[in-house]
Amino acid sequence: MEPFVYFLPSTLSLRKLRQHLPLEPHYQVILEQGEMQGAELLDTFDNGLFQAARLLFQVDRQLLLLDLQTGQLFEQAAPAGRPAIGDMAKGPVVDMLLEVSRLRSLLPVVGIRMRRDEGRVLDDEGKTLVRFYHLTIGRGRRKFMGMGCAQYLRGYSEAYSDLWQWLENCGAMACQNAGDIYSGLGIALRQYCVKPELELLPQTPVKESVTAILGTFLKIGRQNEQGVIADIDTEFLHDYRVCFRKVRSVLSLCTGVFDAKDSARLKEHLAAIMRTTNGLRDLDVYLLNRAEYYRLVPPSAHAGLQILFDSFAQKRKGEQKKVSSAMQSKGYLRSMENLEKIFAVSDNIKSGPQAEVSSLTFARRLILKRYRKVCKTGRDLDETTPDQVIHQLRIHCKKLRYLMEFFAPLFPSGEIKKLIRSLKLLQDNLGNFNDYSVQQQFLEKMLASDIASGTKAMVVAHSIGALTAMLHQLQGHERKQIIENLAGFDSLDIRDSFKELFLTEEGADEDNSLLQ
Amino acid sequence: MKIIACYSNKGGVGKTATSVNLAYISAMSGYRTLLCDLDPQGASGFYFRVKPSKKLPHNTFFDDVGKLVSAIRASDYEKLDLLPANLTYRDFDIFLSRMKNKRSRLKKALKAVDSDYQVIILDCPPNISLLSENVFKAADKIVVPVIPSTLSVRTLAQLHTFFKDNNYQVKKILPFFSMVQQSKKLHRETMVALQKEYKSLLEDYIPFSTDVEKMGVHRAPVLTYAGKDQASIAYRTIWSDIEKKAKIKK
Repeated sequence: MEPFVYFLPSTLSLRKLRQHLPLEPHYQVILEQGEMQGAELLDTFDNGLFQAARLLFQVDRQLLLLDLQTGQLFEQAAPAGRPAIGDMAKGPVVDMLLEVSRLRSLLPVVGIRMRRDEGRVLDDEGKTLVRFYHLTIGRGRRKFMGMGCAQYLRGYSEAYSDLWQWLENCGAMACQNAGDIYSGLGIALRQYCVKPELELLPQTPVKESVTAILGTFLKIGRQNEQGVIADIDTEFLHDYRVCFRKVRSVLSLCTGVFDAKDSARLKEHLAAIMRTTNGLRDLDVYLLNRAEYYRLVPPSAHAGLQILFDSFAQKRKGEQKKVSSAMQSKGYLRSMENLEKIFAVSDNIKSGPQAEVSSLTFARRLILKRYRKVCKTGRDLDETTPDQVIHQLRIHCKKLRYLMEFFAPLFPSGEIKKLIRSLKLLQDNLGNFNDYSVQQQFLEKMLASDIASGTKAMVVAHSIGALTAMLHQLQGHERKQIIENLAGFDSLDIRDSFKELFLTEEGADEDNSLLQ
Repeated sequence: MKIIACYSNKGGVGKTATSVNLAYISAMSGYRTLLCDLDPQGASGFYFRVKPSKKLPHNTFFDDVGKLVSAIRASDYEKLDLLPANLTYRDFDIFLSRMKNKRSRLKKALKAVDSDYQVIILDCPPNISLLSENVFKAADKIVVPVIPSTLSVRTLAQLHTFFKDNNYQVKKILPFFSMVQQSKKLHRETMVALQKEYKSLLEDYIPFSTDVEKMGVHRAPVLTYAGKDQASIAYRTIWSDIEKKAKIKK
């Protein structure tokens, strides 16, 4: 039987509950009241727990997680500081948090006061028939509200239904998302989404649509600045870079929309901003994959890795300071304000020859062109193709994905999502292929570093050699997968879908080779 | 799912106390546990304050899986459920004797809850009957409390003979000493003698304990109110021994 997870706009007392008890059968209700304590409601920056219908409280040094889907409460000791979830000590709360994010840290949403009561309904012989817990929560001067869950105990469905009924009579309402609690406590949800749903209209001149896309991603990217500066978790810089990369991609992919010179100038400016963060992101990636590198090398090479990672961690501190001060510099802030102004209205940038083309026509043409490039590069792929060509293919795919995602609101959602999914499959293989490359480069770097000198040099060199060979082998396997998945992506079915969605009536298939 | 029967063909040896405490320890060790009370007196249910099941006559026990499952009740302890007995169980034997495959009906009935539980503990009535034979077939291990006295020793010997004569697996039998009074010479001597005779005897024994006697007053396993009592400690050791021997795994 489903647990009854409820929200109560007022407080719950034993007296109130008893008023609703029937005379027959004879029930006894026990409510063990907890202590009213100061607490914090926590969530990740991107509201991951809210979205997953989970509420996390820190009461004193204890974490308390409530899963609104199942009504289950989980508890474990709170960590010192605010580490990324993946770095927290394992436990029942962390297990639930890991389903939401590994890389995010927990941030306080709001300070509250709360009390936890444990209740039981017993029969005339003192046997427990139903259990429930009730949380009384208050914030500032607002009146206290409550929430809780009644758990069915096997074989006692009647008492369970009765308790459900009494709670409803007291004003309890079924609750399965965190929205009720947030609105009850008057908490405004932070507006942050790295994949926003844009509103684009097919007939709008493409310059307007593209400017809207640029403005949106710049704004989302900038929402991460404070998190990067405070070094809260690595996802801030990751999201920041994703957004800025998208802004740059839009500028370089949508040729002809803006004046070529203006566009090139903006691109260069954005590239310079991105460059400042390259070093920090590279170190983040290495450090995040630390466990994986340890797993890949034999234990004899672990000492070497330790030295290497210690030096990475040290370097990271310097890089973080550099990025942080760059983001707080007057020059940076001025240039951001300037970009925001430019992307606020489409008139602020000079138009290119395509500026007035309708968004739909432009998007169709561009997406098809990119699809053709992917297929063309892919058709020549075999076991002897140089890695460089595969990397090129990866970049084509990435560009195609960006274009399809940017302009997705112009097309029927189900169909474009289907195509994006099939592209994603291919991208996963290409991503793995790239990872193996990066890992090999990493090992090369390791070999060239100090750890490869001295007495352990031979041992380390030996294990790195073996590992590189293994990675090379895995990369070869991935290459085969890429060829297989490409065949699927270049199949008649997918080609037809692309044709249907993106081929314009005006015969945009100029060279007639697009979809053959 | 492992089935552990708590059985003796002699009454008053501490079967129900053993069943109740072992079931409690099993659940506290993290196993989803069902204590199945097959004794019509329903003492196991009494200790857990679970009222007898009115709606489960013997014919439905073996025939109607749905009814069997719906008669299960949660105990007050996490992961521990109970299938309470009722007085109609007195007629189990008559009923079983009329059935096909009359010695494997219990095993078949318990299959219905196979996915719900990792451990099933059977609290059995004290006799050798068709129901007991069903128990011998269904159980992975049969723990037998033995008071180190002449009569109990005789019944243990009878049980072994019965197993051999009827081709049941003797190695399923795990006897252990129960209600031991070290001050009694007879108890001490019997223990030494039997340890030589039965290699499968569990190492630890349950001492006679007034705290165990008080289970009827507390209506709870002894471990919940007298966890440091020697008997409580011994029940824990005995459980971990059974856990190993029956290869119970999470």
